[in-house]
Amino acid sequence: MSPVDRRLFTHMNWSLLGIMVLLFGVGVMNLYSASGFRLEEGMAVNPFYQKQLLWGLMGCGVMVAVLLFDYRHLKTLAWPLFVLTICLLAAVPLWGKTIYGARRWLSFGLFNFQPSELAKISILILGAKILARGQEPMGFKQLAAITAVGLVPAALIVVQPDLGSGLNLLLLLGGIILYRGLTARVLKVLAVAVPALVPMGWFFLHDYQKQRILTFLNPGNDPLGAGYHIIQSQIAIGSGGLWGKGFLSGTQSQLRFLPEKHTDFAVAVFGEEWGFVGMMILLALFCLFLASMFATAKEAKDRFGSFLAAGVFFYFFWQILINMGMVLGLMPVVGIPLPFISYGGSATMVNFCLIGLVLNVSMRRFVFKQT
Amino acid sequence: MSDSKHFDQESPQPPKNGLILLQCLIFGLFCVFALRLWYLQVHLGKEFAEKARENQLRQELVYAPRGLIRDREGRLLAVNEPAYALGLVREDCKDVDATLAQVAAWTHIDLDELKRRFARGRKRVKPFNPLILVPDISYDLLAVIETNALFWPGLEIVIRPKRHYPQGAVLSHVLGFVAEANEEELERDPGLYLGDAVGKQGLEFVLEKRLRGKKGLDQYEVDATGRFLAHKVVRAPEAGANIDLSIDLDLQEFAARELEGRSGAVVVLDPDNGQVLALVSNPGYDNNAFVLGLSPEQWQALRDNPRHPLQNRAIQSMYPPGSVWKLLVGACGLSEGVIIPRNTVYCPGTYRLGQRVFRCWKKHGHGNVDFKRSLVESCDVYYYHYGERLGVDRISRYAFDSGFGKLTGIDLPHEKKGLVPTREWKRERFGEPWQGGENLNLAIGQGYTLVTPLQVARFVGALVNGGTLYRPNLLLDAPADAQAELPLSEAHRELIVEAMVATVDDPHGTARRLHRKDARMGGKTGTAQVVKIQGEDRLDTYEMPYSHRDHAWLASFGEKDGRRYVVVVMVEHGGHGGSAGGPMARAIYNHLFGKE
Repeated sequence: MSPVDRRLFTHMNWSLLGIMVLLFGVGVMNLYSASGFRLEEGMAVNPFYQKQLLWGLMGCGVMVAVLLFDYRHLKTLAWPLFVLTICLLAAVPLWGKTIYGARRWLSFGLFNFQPSELAKISILILGAKILARGQEPMGFKQLAAITAVGLVPAALIVVQPDLGSGLNLLLLLGGIILYRGLTARVLKVLAVAVPALVPMGWFFLHDYQKQRILTFLNPGNDPLGAGYHIIQSQIAIGSGGLWGKGFLSGTQSQLRFLPEKHTDFAVAVFGEEWGFVGMMILLALFCLFLASMFATAKEAKDRFGSFLAAGVFFYFFWQILINMGMVLGLMPVVGIPLPFISYGGSATMVNFCLIGLVLNVSMRRFVFKQT
Repeated sequence: MSDSKHFDQESPQPPKNGLILLQCLIFGLFCVFALRLWYLQVHLGKEFAEKARENQLRQELVYAPRGLIRDREGRLLAVNEPAYALGLVREDCKDVDATLAQVAAWTHIDLDELKRRFARGRKRVKPFNPLILVPDISYDLLAVIETNALFWPGLEIVIRPKRHYPQGAVLSHVLGFVAEANEEELERDPGLYLGDAVGKQGLEFVLEKRLRGKKGLDQYEVDATGRFLAHKVVRAPEAGANIDLSIDLDLQEFAARELEGRSGAVVVLDPDNGQVLALVSNPGYDNNAFVLGLSPEQWQALRDNPRHPLQNRAIQSMYPPGSVWKLLVGACGLSEGVIIPRNTVYCPGTYRLGQRVFRCWKKHGHGNVDFKRSLVESCDVYYYHYGERLGVDRISRYAFDSGFGKLTGIDLPHEKKGLVPTREWKRERFGEPWQGGENLNLAIGQGYTLVTPLQVARFVGALVNGGTLYRPNLLLDAPADAQAELPLSEAHRELIVEAMVATVDDPHGTARRLHRKDARMGGKTGTAQVVKIQGEDRLDTYEMPYSHRDHAWLASFGEKDGRRYVVVVMVEHGGHGGSAGGPMARAIYNHLFGKE
């Protein structure tokens, strides 16, 4: 085995790694506060932050594993991985475990596994592989072909039912398609067709989903039910003011007015305790985080690498947009977590894994020559 | 070796427009959220801080009283009483395990059961609202818990209305009962909350929507330490609708007393609109026990009781109609033109069909019998004769048209259809064709035919009222619901009614016990065999084991001073219809019309 090339380290996107570690640190610290005075069971502290740290360490292991091989091998793996994903997704309705009324999990004895998480990774790799081919903007035919590929796993996820993850998948793919570029004609048609088709989607929504959208439009309607999340999260964030109430001092979260405060609404705890200043720093961190992925996409050695980095960019971009939009009352309540800030085991693992992919692309951006 | 060889070289140029897009997105994200954050935290910050610091809003549901149920005179049949429930406010509770253990010690409820309730409740109840652990606690326990409240923060007494049925078993089959909503009902109905009572049986079940009402919403302002500051009614609770039944409580209680000690049913109808004045099924059960929650032993005892107290015999038990069925076969024969009223059939006491001999209940025969006498003395041979000529197809079609073999549609759950046999039914059920001899059994109400007491009452009501089959109705304000007309001409209908009157007035009539001078009475008895009689001689009723004794039917009507009633009495294993059902029906008419 040849000794490890030093350029692998010099070219690595260290700023991305650094910002990620910072964000993760902020997240764990925030979870400490969110769970610090948790008395829901009337018992001792429930250490979500400890569990999150543990997940992070495991995520690091996954990330290092992802760095070890040349990302270009993924091109040959793209289709087999995609087929495996489809098989697992198809297995969910047959052997899946039902939790909270939705069948999303496959049980492997010790742990439960959500194939929809794997679907995000495999659609990302496959999308990057297919779209990296060719230069010119895409026409209708190509767009239809790639959309068809994406709709298969998305449909399987939506029927679980997990509308959030299904949409996430399509948005991710859509992001990569936009990155590739569309012909002016396609763009014009889409600009007309999409706003016309969106209202039709209303009929496909479950009642509770419709309720959420209606509640978003008028949260006062149902202050104890669906509107509760929206109202309480805005009160928490807004009451933080300019400087915040200080670490561990958020009354809204400590008094348990804020629901889901360690998962989807975790950033509201941060906003309450650190105020506008803290939130601006966090927002800036997220933007820098995205910008350093942009840098890798720009400087990648080949188009596949560039598309991979862009795909990961969109993966995080949509989640940040949707989660913060929801918490800040700009969007309806959708169960999508904020990367690195919300508690979540498999999400953390996937996040680390994807960052590993981008680092992998950045490490190998020089033309490799045998020494 | 070089990795590069494995990969086809593609253009190294990333898409230029794509890169611009990414930059724009980052910029846009920053701007939109920065503006929103400034708006929420700086611009509106003071207002939100105010809301958060001083005026934390808590909202609590206010129970809406369930609608009352009254009889036709306004007497209360289902009421609400205050009940004291024990709830747990998770947020205020320091040690849930210890608290649950203490509650288990006080109430003698299994700790595991309490833990299950707690786990179920956690999903549905907000941490600052009381999670109901015990829906109903006694006054003694209430005193103990209130005294110790200081030591067990989080425990809270919640006062809620509880259903009570003053008459208990007398009306249990009509009213049914409410009980705590189970997981499935909570899942299905978003208007229900853990610990709520919901109608499970009878009218409580059927009228759930009208009776329930709507919960109110109270808003409390609490400070950051959870102390209550102010109170505002957001939405007042809406009481459920009160419901008036057509039931006459006095009559119901009287009929229940008459049936005491027997298994059976009594139905009293107003034939002119289908209103049910009494619907008694004996034995009943104490529906109040269900409201409190049955213990497994109580439930076991009710379920395994050989006399099936949970069964509503008036609508859920199906019996062979016996000779009461001759009213229907007679009507069928008249309508089909097969029976000519004046023509007589000679009854020697037996009727021969092929090799088989069918017996009349009167061993030595009735002699020459015309239509009227066939009903008055309930001659079997007459109906064997015409049953053979009418055949199963005509009889069963006529029975369906007269409302048998289908639901009456009364406002009660789990009604049974009864059974009207047909050729197709027999082939499907037994894989055998219909036998000629079965026509004969069919004609006297033995064999496969099964009816409910309510169906018989509705049929007799139609004979009396001019031929209209009304849906039996328990609600006082519901309009009469005519479902069908009997396929019977006016002259024939009057002929049958006259024969029923003669059955009471004739000294040989089987229902002569009903006779009274001040009212026009009519009736038809029935004695339905439970076990096939083998051999020559019938045993007397008292010589037979209880479960082999015949079912006794008495279907009757009475008319006095413009008031008309239909009374149907059915006594399981009561023996002869006239002697078992007659005195009961007579007593009921005494109650309705006054003593003679």
